[in-house]
Amino acid sequence: MFEFAFNSFYEAIYMNGHGIYVWSVLAIVCLSLLVFFTLYSSKIKQIKKKLNEPN
Amino acid sequence: MIKKFIHQFASPKTYLFQVNKFYNYIFFISVFIYISSITWGLLFTPEDFVQGNSFRIIYLHVPASFISQSLYAAMAVSSIVYLVWRVKLAAYLVIAIAPIGAMTTFIALISGSIWGIPTWGTWWQWDARITSTLILFIMYLGLISFHNSFSNYEKADKLLSWLVIVGAVNIPIIKKSVDWWSTLHQSASITLTNKPSIDPSMLYPLIGSIIGFFGLILCLVLLSSKYQILIREKTKSWIKDYV
Repeated sequence: MFEFAFNSFYEAIYMNGHGIYVWSVLAIVCLSLLVFFTLYSSKIKQIKKKLNEPN
Repeated sequence: MIKKFIHQFASPKTYLFQVNKFYNYIFFISVFIYISSITWGLLFTPEDFVQGNSFRIIYLHVPASFISQSLYAAMAVSSIVYLVWRVKLAAYLVIAIAPIGAMTTFIALISGSIWGIPTWGTWWQWDARITSTLILFIMYLGLISFHNSFSNYEKADKLLSWLVIVGAVNIPIIKKSVDWWSTLHQSASITLTNKPSIDPSMLYPLIGSIIGFFGLILCLVLLSSKYQILIREKTKSWIKDYV
């Protein structure tokens, strides 16, 4: 069950021509998550900074 | 009694302090589960007999698709809670979930389109499942714009809740579209009632990727709701102590 499904690293990247589809979807998912986590963390930081400012 | 219970445990203050307590645990466990399951699915599962290696997109597409619908269902439940028991936190959650729902639906649509190129020979087809998912994406965007167009938060929350409840009719349509109509999209591989139609060596990493992605999305919802609370409760005295 935990056997590497490819014969080489290049084969894992290429995936018989399907690598472009698989890896591009992975990139989109990771990028979307990264953008949203960064966006909300910075928004929270900003509002906290604003609330800490003396009136 | 239910009202008292809900108001006691769903106060924005209690929620915010609880979020801070558990956020890091949920985040790191989810990251670990998601990365392990994706690595397992993309590199260690055998190639599919029919689809070849393109089937590995399942580990990215299915979690996003499943969660995009679940998030809308969560918004509908929160809307009911807000309208029935007037729980402010539920209203905050509705608007906090919407952008994250739009993001997961976007991932589901894009990953499905990319998967469609090698599998179906086309990136788009106006079939019931794909079209109803596109409607879900447009609904998320519409709900966000609708809420942002109001300056009166209370009025916006109330109208948004009603709209979310009306729009919830699309969720069973998405779910059942592959059974009710003849679609290019395949029927569900995992259901609650039937034995999964995929091999366990492919199924286990899929379950892991769904759990891991769910955890990460939960973390995003916690962050987004935290932001909503900070914005909406900024005049309250307890917020100063929190910040």
